[in-house]
Amino acid sequence: MKIKFLLSFFATVLGLAVGFYFFRPHTFHGTVIQSPETSHDFTLTGINGNVSLSDYRGKLVLLYFGYTFCPDICPATLANVGQALKQIGSNADDVQTIMISLDPQRDTPEKLAEYTAHFHPSFIGVTGTQEQLDAVASLYGIFYQVNEGSDATGYLIDHTATLLVIDREGFLKLVFPFGVTVDEIADDLKYMLRQ
Amino acid sequence: MNKYLLNGLYGLLGMIMISAIAFKIVQPIKVLPRLQLAPAFNLIDQNGQQFISENLRGQFVIFTFTYTQCPEPCFEINETIQEVQSRLGEVQLEGIPVTFVTISIDPERDTPEALNKYALSLGANSDQWKFGTTTNQALLKTIIGSGFETYYEKKDDGSFSFDPTFILVDGWGIVRAEYRYATEVSSADRILRHLGVLADEVRNSKGTTKLAYEAAHLFLCYAP
Repeated sequence: MKIKFLLSFFATVLGLAVGFYFFRPHTFHGTVIQSPETSHDFTLTGINGNVSLSDYRGKLVLLYFGYTFCPDICPATLANVGQALKQIGSNADDVQTIMISLDPQRDTPEKLAEYTAHFHPSFIGVTGTQEQLDAVASLYGIFYQVNEGSDATGYLIDHTATLLVIDREGFLKLVFPFGVTVDEIADDLKYMLRQ
Repeated sequence: MNKYLLNGLYGLLGMIMISAIAFKIVQPIKVLPRLQLAPAFNLIDQNGQQFISENLRGQFVIFTFTYTQCPEPCFEINETIQEVQSRLGEVQLEGIPVTFVTISIDPERDTPEALNKYALSLGANSDQWKFGTTTNQALLKTIIGSGFETYYEKKDDGSFSFDPTFILVDGWGIVRAEYRYATEVSSADRILRHLGVLADEVRNSKGTTKLAYEAAHLFLCYAP
């Protein structure tokens, strides 16, 4: 009797441990924001005309601020996002990546379209006037300024390199720091797409 | 056998539910919600130096908004800052710096020189209490109005109507608390308590306790 009881007790503990392992709550790799308000909407210009954040309600939106002349940080992050989308397969149809250019002088909508296509066919690149970009960048916590380097390719732009995720309902949900890996992005996106 | 298994299962499930409820009720860990991203900015400080939001990473920052020609209510904002500053020793900050940032809503008159004079009159230490201004008024409205959600408007007589506001931002540039209409009662106690809550989270968010902190965020165990 006692043995049976002990056995059933240990079996339960083991079952729960296994259950916990498989059903443990998701741990996000980015910082979770619990904003009570939807994130700031914007309308900028892409190759097919105006693009607003609110056009993509119902999809997850990945927001990245950069520029096409960016030597290292932007291509690294965008390549990781592209890889992560390939990893999550057909679920990627529910994800829209928007790259906002911080270099309105050099990045035309055409140039942005050509650039973003290198990373994933679904990416959209948008730009706007200096005033529009100043406002959008500030509201998403992105600092940027032109850095007159001696580089042969011309000036550089220093900018905050976070990757932002806006959920299907338009709330800013996650902030990834620079250096987030393909697997980490894919893991969090998969979880959010199940919600 | 089956009966024991079922009983054991029910017992354990019950225990888990009780501990989840207990966690919610007792709230062993308190956190401040991560409300939104603080707006980024590129201002000029009271010494005429560039003053950017990125330089505040890794610090706790208390933002206020005012103008140097402001009569009565602004003095109370400054008094609260001075009180918090003088009582910082009461909080275990674990070496995390606290910076006060006062952004002028009147950039036309508040030049860096005017701000410097104002800062000196308040006895502000320029390392810990920064004053910011800009020449880009449209962007300033975006930063303060939309970004910090603080209303201000210039009146015909040159004075401003505005909400006295304190905004607490963490080292990742995330808004963690807002104190509005706060000058009627002293906000200093709450601000100091919240600085302690943030420092506790930074100190303890490692390994398994990190999960407990994320649970506290999940269960909305917010510090009063």
